[in-house]
Amino acid sequence: MAEVHQDTNSAGSDFDLTQFYQIFFEEAGENLDLMEQMLLNLNLETADDEELNGIFRCAHSVKGGAATFGFSDVAELTHQMESLLDRLRRHELQPNSSMVDVLLESADASRSLLARHQAGAEGAGPPTTDLVSRIRSLASGEIPAPKAAVVQVVAPVSVPVTPSAGTVPEQPKALTAVVSADGVRHLEIRISQLDREDQVVALMELFRDIPGLGDIKARPWTAGTPREFEVHTTSSNEDLLDLFAFHVSREQVVIQQVAEEAAQDHALSSSQTGTPLGFGFFDGAPGAPDLLAPAAAAPAAATVASVVSKAALPKTAGAANAATSQPEAATIRVAINKVDQLINLVGELVITQAMLAQNSRALDPALYQQLLTGLTDLDRNTRDLQESVMSIRMIPMSIVFSRFPRMLRDLAGKLGKKVNFVTLGEATELDKGLVEKITDPLTHLVRNSCDHGIEMPADRIKAGKPETGTITLSAAHQGGSIVIEVRDDGKGMSREKILSKAREKGLDVSDAMTDAEVWQLIFAPGFSTAEVVTDVSGRGVGMDVVKRNITSLNGTVEIDSSEGYGMKVSVRLPLTLAIMDGMSIGVGNEVYILPLSSVVESFQVKSDAVSTVGQGAQLVKVRDEYMPVIELEKVFQVSRFDSEKVSDIMVVIEAEGSRVVLLVDELLGQQQVVVKNLESNYRKVPNVSGATILGDGKVALILDTAALVRRSRH
Amino acid sequence: MSAIEKINESVAVGAREYLTFKLDQEEYGIDILKVQEIRGYEPPTRIANAPAFIKGVVNLRGTIVPIVDMRLKFNCESAKYDSFTVVIILNLHHRIAGIVVDSVSDVMQLAPENLRAAPEVESVIDSDSVIGLGSLGERMLILLDIEKLMSGDDMGLNSDAC
Repeated sequence: MAEVHQDTNSAGSDFDLTQFYQIFFEEAGENLDLMEQMLLNLNLETADDEELNGIFRCAHSVKGGAATFGFSDVAELTHQMESLLDRLRRHELQPNSSMVDVLLESADASRSLLARHQAGAEGAGPPTTDLVSRIRSLASGEIPAPKAAVVQVVAPVSVPVTPSAGTVPEQPKALTAVVSADGVRHLEIRISQLDREDQVVALMELFRDIPGLGDIKARPWTAGTPREFEVHTTSSNEDLLDLFAFHVSREQVVIQQVAEEAAQDHALSSSQTGTPLGFGFFDGAPGAPDLLAPAAAAPAAATVASVVSKAALPKTAGAANAATSQPEAATIRVAINKVDQLINLVGELVITQAMLAQNSRALDPALYQQLLTGLTDLDRNTRDLQESVMSIRMIPMSIVFSRFPRMLRDLAGKLGKKVNFVTLGEATELDKGLVEKITDPLTHLVRNSCDHGIEMPADRIKAGKPETGTITLSAAHQGGSIVIEVRDDGKGMSREKILSKAREKGLDVSDAMTDAEVWQLIFAPGFSTAEVVTDVSGRGVGMDVVKRNITSLNGTVEIDSSEGYGMKVSVRLPLTLAIMDGMSIGVGNEVYILPLSSVVESFQVKSDAVSTVGQGAQLVKVRDEYMPVIELEKVFQVSRFDSEKVSDIMVVIEAEGSRVVLLVDELLGQQQVVVKNLESNYRKVPNVSGATILGDGKVALILDTAALVRRSRH
Repeated sequence: MSAIEKINESVAVGAREYLTFKLDQEEYGIDILKVQEIRGYEPPTRIANAPAFIKGVVNLRGTIVPIVDMRLKFNCESAKYDSFTVVIILNLHHRIAGIVVDSVSDVMQLAPENLRAAPEVESVIDSDSVIGLGSLGERMLILLDIEKLMSGDDMGLNSDAC
């Protein structure tokens, strides 16, 4: 992309360039992001040409574009960056951390300059002369005094260490044939964080208990390093990982091929052991393709994946190269409203299909066999189509996660802490709209972890913990929702401190509260237990905003903490904003939808359980708690034909931290509903957040639980 | 000659096409270009606390569309819903709305010489929303500026007055 961009830009400036501005800003932003990512992942000692060239290309593209469009300040700054990077990639200078720092700062400065140009601002931007002179002095070979605070931020999981180019073709072809003939492979397996002896025994027993798996030998081990095992087996890496999964997680295991002589030595002993474990589709036939993977330190899962792709592609060298390049393949940019329209149309198709299916049920299968077969196919195809269309809006979490290494690096440096940042499950996909809205709350949680959670290095050593703290950010699908966890191994939260702080604030607390209830207290507005207010956090604004933002996305927040050992915040979100789990309720002849996430419980009441207060406000007692009752029949002025019938089912809903009880006629069921906007053609309706289309094509209104709760307060 | 040019030309000479519909005994005409489609009446989903002439919302191929009963809006004596009752779906400035009428008659072209200025009479219709009268032999059409009528504040279709 970078080179193409260059070419288009060189096409003279005698015509109006403004039409290309937007493209330039987008590409420059992408290039700066990419550069930042590569800078952060850069290993200073062993930086290879590929990485340095990549960073250079980014700076070069931005410079070229900026010069063409006449943004001289950006061009000047990036030009200096380019000269420094050029000397680095030609190995005239050795990269060091102060260079990375200054390059990151310059990237930030370029970004803000670009943002000014994009907004059409006039006049001088933020001064860059200082940066320019610092880059110049670095490029001329001067080494400034190193900074006092050494910051170490690594993102190990996100960076698959790529096998160095050239290793792959060197593997002799003959070896592949020899090993595949008897199917025994000699492996070295390294398992990190395996400190307990009983786990080791359990692993060894696997090989003893499962006939034909092969044998295992533990190598001498010293505490703190990964355990190493020598294994002779006919099973594939994937099978081994599956077996190990009972005892250790996949991420801990690294499987590596041992040199060929050893494998051949052992070949005879267990030859012809028959079919390997598993189905043997992959490992037997293509000649144990794992041999082709010199997966030095790459995570095991990544290795296996790339091996499979190589087995499929005969051009192994090409495949290896593909694995080293950036994950994003060919993409197109499409306006979001086009995608939304597509989603709407498919939603429409699904409803039509449902109606057809319903109407065809009465038909005689013998007479209308072909029609019914067609309808079944239509059913399947619409489902597949809907799934694929919905997936267009889904983008991987890595978009959000990628901004944190940089933020933590700066933050840890400022606070003088040592933080190791680990991300898991970046490939997990989430609706674009949600991704944008979840970024701020997550940023807040990660900052909190770094600021309040992780202790100073000295305190950590005193507490017997490793000097470097770890913050883990993970995302995973669970059923119809996504769970994002922010975990740290810091000091955790103190139950007593929170309780006493809550009493100070005049909140209603008791010592009998469960831990979970106590942790929820920190979401109260203005609540902070931080001893010192820093410019990072501690002012007590924040957690309540986090909670509110996530609740507005129909999500929930849970906290788990253990004092001295760290804490974990789990955010659970629906996969998409467009689809919601709803509970349909009946009032009179009308159907309304309640967001399932706000429904706490429902029960049937007798009329005498409801007591009235003052001007007729009704209260109901649920397990020693009095809750206000809202009669939906009155709120929505439902007319009744049958005057005898009264609502007798109560649904407890919770929103914005309070609970109210809704009085309804019946509970009709739970279903996923597509949320439609009422305001696009009509206007805001009180107590209604949107509308949806039911299976029969009718419109049902979705209740705004937050508004209903607020209503009860007045 | 493209369709657009044709329209432009007819506008130039002042001839316009109007969709005519009936409310009780009165006959109305609206600009055909504002009409998206004509559908049969199906019971909409009622919206609480809305004015009586807003019948509710319906699902128009995935879009939620409000339905206004013109007979209630114009204080007609009866507003029956039978198999002849139709809904005219209007496309007004990127917003879609439906109006309920007793029946749709036809599409007519009105030349400038057939147009008469609207007389100053007391009526439930805001005089700003009436373009004029169209006279065709014995028939008299009340020509409505449907866009102005529907986006008026008293219609309450928009949150923000526009």
